[in-house]
Amino acid sequence: MLSRVADSMYWMSRYLERAEHTARLIAVKLESMIEQSREDADSSWWRVVAALAAEEVGPRDAFAITQNLAFEPANPSSLLSCLRNARDNARQVREQLSLEVWENLNRLYLKLQPMTMEAIWVHHPARLFREALQDLHTLGGVTYSTLSHGEAWYFLELGRHIERAQLISRLLDLHFGRSATEVVAEAPKYFDWLVLLKFCSAFEPYCKAYTAAIRPEKIAEFLLFDAEFPHSVRFSVERVCAALLHVAPGAPPGRRAAVERLAGRLKASVDFTQIEELMSGSIAPFLGDISRQCEQIHDAVYASYIAYGAETVL
Amino acid sequence: MQHEAALNARAGHSAAAGPGREGPYKNYVLGAAYDEMFAANGTVRAHYAQLDSRLTTLAPEELHRRQQACELSFLHQGITFTVYSDKQATERIIPTDLLPRIVTAAEWGRIEAGLKQRILALNHFLRDIYSDGRVLKDGVIPRSMIYGSRHYRREMRGLQVPHGAYVNVCGTDLVRREDGQFVVLEDNLRVPSGVSYMLANRDVVRRAFPNLFRAMGVRPIEQYPRELLAALRALTPFQHDASIAVLTPGVFNSAYFEHAFLARQMGVELVEGRDLLVNDNVVYARTTSGLKRIDVIYRRIDDDFIDPLAFRDESSLGVPGLFNAYRAGSVVIANALGTGVADDKAIYAYVPRLIRYYLSEEPILDSVETFLCREPKSLSHVLANLDRLVVKAVGESGGYGMLVGPHASKAEREAFAEKLKADPENYIAQPTIQLSTAPTFVDGGVEARHVDLRPFVLHGEETVIVPGALTRVALKRGSLVVNSSQGGGSKDTWVLSN
Repeated sequence: MLSRVADSMYWMSRYLERAEHTARLIAVKLESMIEQSREDADSSWWRVVAALAAEEVGPRDAFAITQNLAFEPANPSSLLSCLRNARDNARQVREQLSLEVWENLNRLYLKLQPMTMEAIWVHHPARLFREALQDLHTLGGVTYSTLSHGEAWYFLELGRHIERAQLISRLLDLHFGRSATEVVAEAPKYFDWLVLLKFCSAFEPYCKAYTAAIRPEKIAEFLLFDAEFPHSVRFSVERVCAALLHVAPGAPPGRRAAVERLAGRLKASVDFTQIEELMSGSIAPFLGDISRQCEQIHDAVYASYIAYGAETVL
Repeated sequence: MQHEAALNARAGHSAAAGPGREGPYKNYVLGAAYDEMFAANGTVRAHYAQLDSRLTTLAPEELHRRQQACELSFLHQGITFTVYSDKQATERIIPTDLLPRIVTAAEWGRIEAGLKQRILALNHFLRDIYSDGRVLKDGVIPRSMIYGSRHYRREMRGLQVPHGAYVNVCGTDLVRREDGQFVVLEDNLRVPSGVSYMLANRDVVRRAFPNLFRAMGVRPIEQYPRELLAALRALTPFQHDASIAVLTPGVFNSAYFEHAFLARQMGVELVEGRDLLVNDNVVYARTTSGLKRIDVIYRRIDDDFIDPLAFRDESSLGVPGLFNAYRAGSVVIANALGTGVADDKAIYAYVPRLIRYYLSEEPILDSVETFLCREPKSLSHVLANLDRLVVKAVGESGGYGMLVGPHASKAEREAFAEKLKADPENYIAQPTIQLSTAPTFVDGGVEARHVDLRPFVLHGEETVIVPGALTRVALKRGSLVVNSSQGGGSKDTWVLSN
């Protein structure tokens, strides 16, 4: 597969994962506001903003923040920007995608692109984001069932799960790590833990594993180390490793080793670390480390398969 | 014959709803041009009878709904171009018309034979001027027209191309004169585009009129990508093992959709210049597993931009060293470089002579009468008759650099006359042709609009023409300019099997 194509597949997938994450956070936040006091509702927006790496906007009301997170073209991580970037990348590799994949993505973008906050804000604004989430899930399913599970598919998997591992560890950092206590003096309340689970569409799966008793360290354990839940860090790391076995089948062993060593190391740390070790204070550096290792894997994939110097292979 | 008589009877019957009368054709105006659907007396031509009965029975809202379905399908597929305004870039679809343009089997037979003859002669001509130059020695064509052309590539001299096929893909523009004859307006021998619209139009229009499509016996065109692939494969000795790529300028090119479409339909790689590199005169693509050798490049980049070392050095679209690899014979490029010299608007005037010279045959398809402004007698004729002629710059395409005399103001004509006098060799003039009109769905009704016809000719080891074409339509009432860059749209073209 062309290196440029691999690059676009990878980024298309990362942007779609980010779009899904953004849509879910906004939807969950808007829905949960209804049950909160106005004060609590407003004060907990900062976590959403920080989780999406958005810049703080001036007036911190729900309308302005949602506008910025969802539709602001100048915000590179807004939902619409993510979809635009995903679509631009998809267009680059149009001939690699099935008609169904392209049409679903294109249709979703064309649906959201002309939306305005004024139009959606009056009645149940969360609904639009739920719909977008639904469309993104459909796109995932269409991709799964219409695209050959070859190298291109594994680059999609790679992008999706590297992005997901980073997004989840960032979200955890905002609840457990240093930034959780640095920014606000208050520790998260019961309701915030509930919302955290919903941010990761983890509420019901968590209950199945640990019953409805909400205990922070169990939440951390579930979202970090559960082997079966698709939005846990460990699950994503496992998928990253699996994808790496299938990409660039003809690459020389030396190049492959450089990538697989890093992925294996990350896998070992999420496979063998126990939550008790972390809860005594080392969770913040651990989360930071996951993020850093994801970046290293990304860099190694580029160095080995995508942006390698031609002179090294001639 | 009996069959045709029956159709004629039916056609006569539905003439009650003819042009200009109540019904769908209320605003249909028959002008001086040949009309594809109606004879001069307003009766429906036999091969349009079935479409006519469909149009007169369908409710206008239903037609409208089908037109919208076509447009929506184009939008979702991403068959769009981008219009940049003040702040925002908006995407527009290339307008597509719901109503098919219908070509009879007899008409098509003549077109097909004429185009095959023409591409054969043009390929002979290209091989000749890039080797012995027999045609120049024999004085059939003036040397200065070849060596002075900015599309002549000295670098191509003496290079052997497979099967002597310089032009592998050609999109020839035909128009129908007032007398009903198809004539050639222009040969596009460089990187002709539009074939994806031919296929995309078919896809949506067939869905809009499924029963009509089946009943009329329309010949299929879906095999085009397969035929193109076969033509490209024929250019290498590797045949089925050949590694083939479509070379595109990239996602910002207005024909990018087509490049991606063809690559996908042929199952070959779509590459940009930056994906390729040349080492030791071999062309490679950079892949995740390492470098992969490329044998055939179907290039959709102009000569000038294909290799910054050989041609324009500021080009970032091309591949440094590609031309040397090509000369060394390790890669085939289709179309060959330097074909532009033969689709020049001045050479056009000589094509009938070239057909007689190389094939000893009379041209099957007429050309439009052409005045070469380089000849003093023609120049004075052109200057005296600017209000009746179309003047075109020799090296331009896409409707740029031209003057449509009858539609231009006096000031525009005078300004153009100055340009003409300053550089007569750069211009040719032709009488304005009343392009034929075809029924087009406009504002809820059916109106006459001018159309042309661009079939696509493939030439590898042999010549293949898929029975279909891109029909371009000038959507503005009375306009004769069909180019999509200037407000044109397109239509599906139905070639009938009998």
